[in-house]
Amino acid sequence: MNSGSDSDSFDEGDLTARGRKAKGKSGSRANEKGKQKAKDQGYAWEATYTRSWDTVQEDEAGSLTGAVAELLARGRRRRLLAPAAAIRRTIIRHLVLLLDLSAAMSDRDMRPTRFDLSLEYAREFITEWFDQNPLGQIGIVGMRGGIGERVCEMSGNPQDVLKAISERHKLEPIGEPSLQNAIEMARSSMSHLPTHSSREMLVIFGSLTTVDPGNIYETLSSCVKDRIRISLVALAAETKICRELCDKTGGTFGVAMNEGHFKDLLFELIPPPAQQHTGAGAGGKMSADLMMMGFPQRLPDTAPAALCVCHAQMRAAGFLCPRCGARLCDAPTDCDVCGLMIVSSPHLARSYHHLFPVKPYSVVTTLDGVTSTTCHACARPLEDTPSANVSEGVSPFDRYRCQDCKSDFCTECDVFVHDVLHCCPGCET
Amino acid sequence: MDRSCHLSLIIDLSPSQWHLSAQPTNPHPLSFQTFLSLVLTFLNSHIAAKHENTLAVFGALPGKSTMLYSSLDADSSNTNDPPADANSYRPFKFVNTIVTKNIQKELDLLEGLTEEPPVTLVGALTMALCYINRLAHPPPGSVATETTTEADARILILSVSPDLSASYIPVMNSIFSAQKLRVTIDVCKVYGEETVFLQQAAHLTGGSYIYLERRDAFLQYLTMSFLPPPSIRHMMAVPRQDKVDFRAACFCHKNIVDIGFVCSVCLSIFCSPVPVCSTCRTKFPMKTLQRLNASRPSIPPANGVSNGSPRPPSARPSQGMSASLR
Ligand SMILES: [Zn+2]
Ligand SMILES: [Zn+2]
Ligand SMILES: [Zn+2]
Ligand SMILES: [Zn+2]
Ligand SMILES: [Zn+2]
Ligand SMILES: [Zn+2]
Repeated sequence: MNSGSDSDSFDEGDLTARGRKAKGKSGSRANEKGKQKAKDQGYAWEATYTRSWDTVQEDEAGSLTGAVAELLARGRRRRLLAPAAAIRRTIIRHLVLLLDLSAAMSDRDMRPTRFDLSLEYAREFITEWFDQNPLGQIGIVGMRGGIGERVCEMSGNPQDVLKAISERHKLEPIGEPSLQNAIEMARSSMSHLPTHSSREMLVIFGSLTTVDPGNIYETLSSCVKDRIRISLVALAAETKICRELCDKTGGTFGVAMNEGHFKDLLFELIPPPAQQHTGAGAGGKMSADLMMMGFPQRLPDTAPAALCVCHAQMRAAGFLCPRCGARLCDAPTDCDVCGLMIVSSPHLARSYHHLFPVKPYSVVTTLDGVTSTTCHACARPLEDTPSANVSEGVSPFDRYRCQDCKSDFCTECDVFVHDVLHCCPGCET
Repeated sequence: MDRSCHLSLIIDLSPSQWHLSAQPTNPHPLSFQTFLSLVLTFLNSHIAAKHENTLAVFGALPGKSTMLYSSLDADSSNTNDPPADANSYRPFKFVNTIVTKNIQKELDLLEGLTEEPPVTLVGALTMALCYINRLAHPPPGSVATETTTEADARILILSVSPDLSASYIPVMNSIFSAQKLRVTIDVCKVYGEETVFLQQAAHLTGGSYIYLERRDAFLQYLTMSFLPPPSIRHMMAVPRQDKVDFRAACFCHKNIVDIGFVCSVCLSIFCSPVPVCSTCRTKFPMKTLQRLNASRPSIPPANGVSNGSPRPPSARPSQGMSASLR
């Protein structure tokens, strides 16, 4: 890690815990032994992680109903704990995905290989990310052979990004990764971004070593200065530099325990991050700005074909730039002719629920003065006899009440309204 | 039609709009009575198409939404069972009686109102979505005899009221939830002007938006376009509207704009550069305002689009213009 050295690996002291995966390359027998050890004592990064299936217990009758209800109740309590005031979220995001394509990724401790699994999850991640961050852009940088490789330029089109990682043979893992080279490359592609958008990096790192041409701490401090938030998912073990990159820039660090946990760690990074008002470091306060946007009209499939400006192909359907009249295949995009940001209004609306969440419903514990007998939303008949021994945060009558419209809802609808629908059926009427 | 399907029908019950629709001065006047009898015929066809088909009917009333019928909760052994009638098929009679009775009940409740609040379709839409979500999650105790979980679910909106700009965000949230639940939203605009929100709803969920031009052929529209479930529609030439207005309404004047100014914090849309966002109170930098004011198009774009009026379908750039760009 010191400047000038050609290839340096983390020494033992750098590993806050020596994991089973550190020995991954030394064969499966060592691996097995490592796993045994892991089970016995546990590692620092394992302490906070509980598998959801470990916590689920069958009741005497062998049914999981009680356990499922308990999980739902936990979700509800978490919602109640969340800050009531709408937090500002960063709606316009720019993310560079740094993929480790070094030899360490051929390791088979994750099935089928770390590399294949990472590609698969990256695809799912990109699709879901664009779904929740429709105004965002993603770029991809690969790390192999000691250099950073630009796999995909920053793009707001999920198809472009997915296409860039669709050809597996072009990304075959080889050589050593260089965190510094890759981060510098990603940083340069974000230098021109406006201040109201976020700058984020997500590193999927399978190696325990990095081959850097200079001092990576200099790179780290320039990232902090540029307000770039680095998050890292390690597939091997916790290393000091990886954790520091995340901690100093306000990102999150995680070590994937298994395939499912790996996916959880990635998907936690999908919702738009909250903006901190008293911002220190990279996650700090970003300036607000007013942006000019064009809202196109979609042409019918039966419209006469014309050349699009993005692919120079004859297309019938498409969108028209409202400023220069250029024909575009997709929205959102920047008009290739006049540079206007083209966004269709549903793209904006997709983000509104982050800014205006539905207030949590209160738990109904008594039926005094209650007149309704069915759920206001789905008309499911509601219980009128309390069920015994319910845990905290669960209504014995399966009733949850909106504080604004005073309507009662069933458990199912409470979850659906807050997780999916994002508007209260009672308040809208 | 192998699989059973679920239909949630939303009927817009705005008394004033229906009064206007029945005016003899209209090209094709359609009274609510006629409309309702045609809708009931359509519902009977849906039930008859397959034994397992399920049905829910919601009414959007001024300032209120309500469920009028649900095949889950309406048990045929109910006490208010309609009297047996030798001339009618019992399930048909059953649906018809309940829907008519409930509509009558709701309309009677409206009698006392001096002022008619606007109809909020979105209330009925969110209820329909919750209902479909309920179908997808049967209570854990019940035996899943019905294959409701795999059933195609769709929502048909029969709308007569104009868009309510205040419900823009809930409508959009409902559309995205429908996408998540894989529910198709069909819209039949029975009377009144085109609604931008419902156009987008149908487009984004893969449904059809049909503006009823020949209102004397309403039943034919219903049977030909909306009776077949979405899964088999690709085999039929079901009419659908392709042109979709994706332009947005500014938050300040509710004007339809094609170039807007958007707050980077809350994404509120304004029709001109403003110093402070009226939604989230964010102040914008002076530099930006000057820059935006300078770059604002002073002349309307070449294809002569102005605020408010929808762009005619023929107003596309000339072929030469697009072709010469690259
Ligand atoms: Zn194109
Ligand atoms: Zn343009
Ligand atoms: Zn409910
Ligand atoms: Zn409410
Ligand atoms: Zn305005
Ligand atoms: Zn704002």
